[in-house]
Amino acid sequence: MRAIAQLWLLPSRQMPLLGVLAHLLWLTAIGCLVWITPHADGAALGAGVLAMGSWFWHLGLATTLRGACQPETFLLPAFRRRLAAFGLLDAVTWVGLPALLALALGVPHVPLGGALLLLAAVMGFAMGVERWVSLLFWPLLVLAGWMPGLAAAIVQDALHSPLTLPLLLLLALLLLRLALHPMLRVVDRPADTSPLEGLSLGRSASADTAPRRSALGRRFEGWFDAIAQQAMERALARYRERPSAARRRTLVRRLLLPHDNAAAIGLRITVMAVFATLYVVVALHRKHFNATVVGAYAVLIALARFPQIGRGMQRMRPNLADLYLTLAPATRAEYQQTLADALLVLVPIGTVTALAYTVLGIVLTHAAQPGLMLLVTLVVATGGGLVALAVHLIGPQNTVGRQLVNAAVLIGTMATYWAGVWLVGALGYVFGGGLLALLTLGFGLGTWLAAQREYRRRAPLFDAPLA
Amino acid sequence: MATLLPFPSPPTAATTPAEPVLRVHGVRKAFEGREVLRGVDWQVPAGRVIGLLGRNGAGKTTLLRCLLGLAPIDAGAIELFGAPMTEPGGERLHRVGFVPQNFELFPWMKVRAYLDFTAAFYARWNHALAARLLQEWELDPKQKIGRLSQGQRQKLAIVRAIAPEPDLLVLDEPVASLDPQARRAFMAELLALMRGPGKTVIFSTHITADLERADADIALLRDGHIQFTRPLAELKARLSHAVLNRPAGWPTAPALPGVIKSRIAGASLHLLLEDVPAERLHQLAKDEDASLRIEMPTLEDLFVELA
Repeated sequence: MRAIAQLWLLPSRQMPLLGVLAHLLWLTAIGCLVWITPHADGAALGAGVLAMGSWFWHLGLATTLRGACQPETFLLPAFRRRLAAFGLLDAVTWVGLPALLALALGVPHVPLGGALLLLAAVMGFAMGVERWVSLLFWPLLVLAGWMPGLAAAIVQDALHSPLTLPLLLLLALLLLRLALHPMLRVVDRPADTSPLEGLSLGRSASADTAPRRSALGRRFEGWFDAIAQQAMERALARYRERPSAARRRTLVRRLLLPHDNAAAIGLRITVMAVFATLYVVVALHRKHFNATVVGAYAVLIALARFPQIGRGMQRMRPNLADLYLTLAPATRAEYQQTLADALLVLVPIGTVTALAYTVLGIVLTHAAQPGLMLLVTLVVATGGGLVALAVHLIGPQNTVGRQLVNAAVLIGTMATYWAGVWLVGALGYVFGGGLLALLTLGFGLGTWLAAQREYRRRAPLFDAPLA
Repeated sequence: MATLLPFPSPPTAATTPAEPVLRVHGVRKAFEGREVLRGVDWQVPAGRVIGLLGRNGAGKTTLLRCLLGLAPIDAGAIELFGAPMTEPGGERLHRVGFVPQNFELFPWMKVRAYLDFTAAFYARWNHALAARLLQEWELDPKQKIGRLSQGQRQKLAIVRAIAPEPDLLVLDEPVASLDPQARRAFMAELLALMRGPGKTVIFSTHITADLERADADIALLRDGHIQFTRPLAELKARLSHAVLNRPAGWPTAPALPGVIKSRIAGASLHLLLEDVPAERLHQLAKDEDASLRIEMPTLEDLFVELA
């Protein structure tokens, strides 16, 4: 029983906020069910709350277990059996107990509700183990947005079909099998990649929880690796030919950011463009589609790279001792400046990426104001990138703090984007655009310069982070 | 109860000693209130191999990292090549080779690319030596570092550290993951490197046989201090291990000048002695009505007794 309790505590220890929130949602859902009358209404509200809590909890649980399920862990006595017992207890907590309570209170459609709760839990778990599982549900959400009438009709029919319940249970089983199989399989660990790399999916993963790549994923990884090696060789040849500060900086970038050379960026944009095209084509068929939103999405995608900088620089500390000795800086501040200069390239890369997606969106949606979208994207992505890089370079070291900072940056950038759209629309390209650039780039540059100064002031760290 | 007497200062050399490569004065370092280094004073002369010994957790890794500026110190001063270590000091770092305990290289890089990258920054890099060692130590240049075994990574870290032919080589348990062949090959390379004038090696290890092979000076880190730094030959010449046996046993150890440590085990009394003539021991055995056995302690014996 102690082992099961330890498994249950795992996600809460790693993500205390999630643990508290998920269990508060569980209590709220049970409260809704018991105290709101008629109980059918309380159950409807409670089921929604419970499904949300369950989804979050199981997403976190899967992320934690994926890190814990290493080959060495399977050597623990009866680990798989205890894991199964924990799974059963977890299912009883999140599905069985609420369903039984609902049944006792005479709530209708309990079996169907229970199956949906089970599906929510399994969906969260599967997405936590294999990120690509979310892609299976994404088209359904897009479809619901595109054809809400059809989606509502399907739901109505499903409610009355006797096949719905077994099909939902079957789907849950299949998803569970999909999640558990790779988690419990003993495989060779892939070679670590640069903690700063931005290979889209799995970008935020740590070494232990890196997503297992599919055959296609491995092929892409191979291409990116080959491109990175060639870029490094070219940078080395150029540096040897005529050493200069700029070429030295490029060399350091090729080491720290192996997948941020022109060819790799092109390949990454192309891959992402396929998904972006799919989304835009479907989104176009919505009743109310504002083409300008494409620029906002593009900026968001570009900014998604920056949180990895804070995490990656922390994880990379021990590796950086070797770079420190290799670079042999005159002062510690010079070394810190070298790193900051090397990372600054991520800002133009982010801007170019955002512009590329915006252009794609403009072409696909035949946007009415392409100039406005491009101008606002250019300014906001650059300003937002500078701020994001600044705060992730010197910001909080703990996960919660970093997430809060990231949320603040994203919200601020989105607010700036829409304010920029309004400003340029109202005052024109010259005055509106000029004012937007002055404010946004001024703020971005100011933040970056202040952060750079602070980063230079700090002593370099080479000790491995504790967690 | 065992005691450890302080060693007397080594006799003053007739010739003027070389300028120390490293001077450490009053260095303190604590981790979350736990003091690991408690005012370390240490001088490392040029042209010597220093074996840094100490038990697990004694602070060897911390001390070595502090010396190179890889960990901040709380108090004290460090001088490297005659200049304070308050800043890295540019090219000075290129005169240092370092093999860390956890060879955290860049796992996403290939061996060849990693060495080429590193070599590009060094004014002095022995390409022939690096190529020879890669071949002899069977390191595939096309292999990703992340795919290498622990031992292979350690070999690569050693190649990277000695290819610039550094004046000071700092090795933190460099042979822990090496097989016996690789360990011997490494020691041979190390000794060859040391043949250069003024080359100094600081070598933290638990494999005392390697230090004996290198005829190293032994520095013992204990209780947050360097207890002594002395040539191994001198230690061996001046220290001895005597075992006195008598059926009645030993309620207490007899007082004898020169005893560094005494230990009673049943009918045996074990004494670690410094500069105690054999005649004095025979006299003691006669007085105490005991049999006497005098042994030449190995470095491992000394480590077990002193650390």
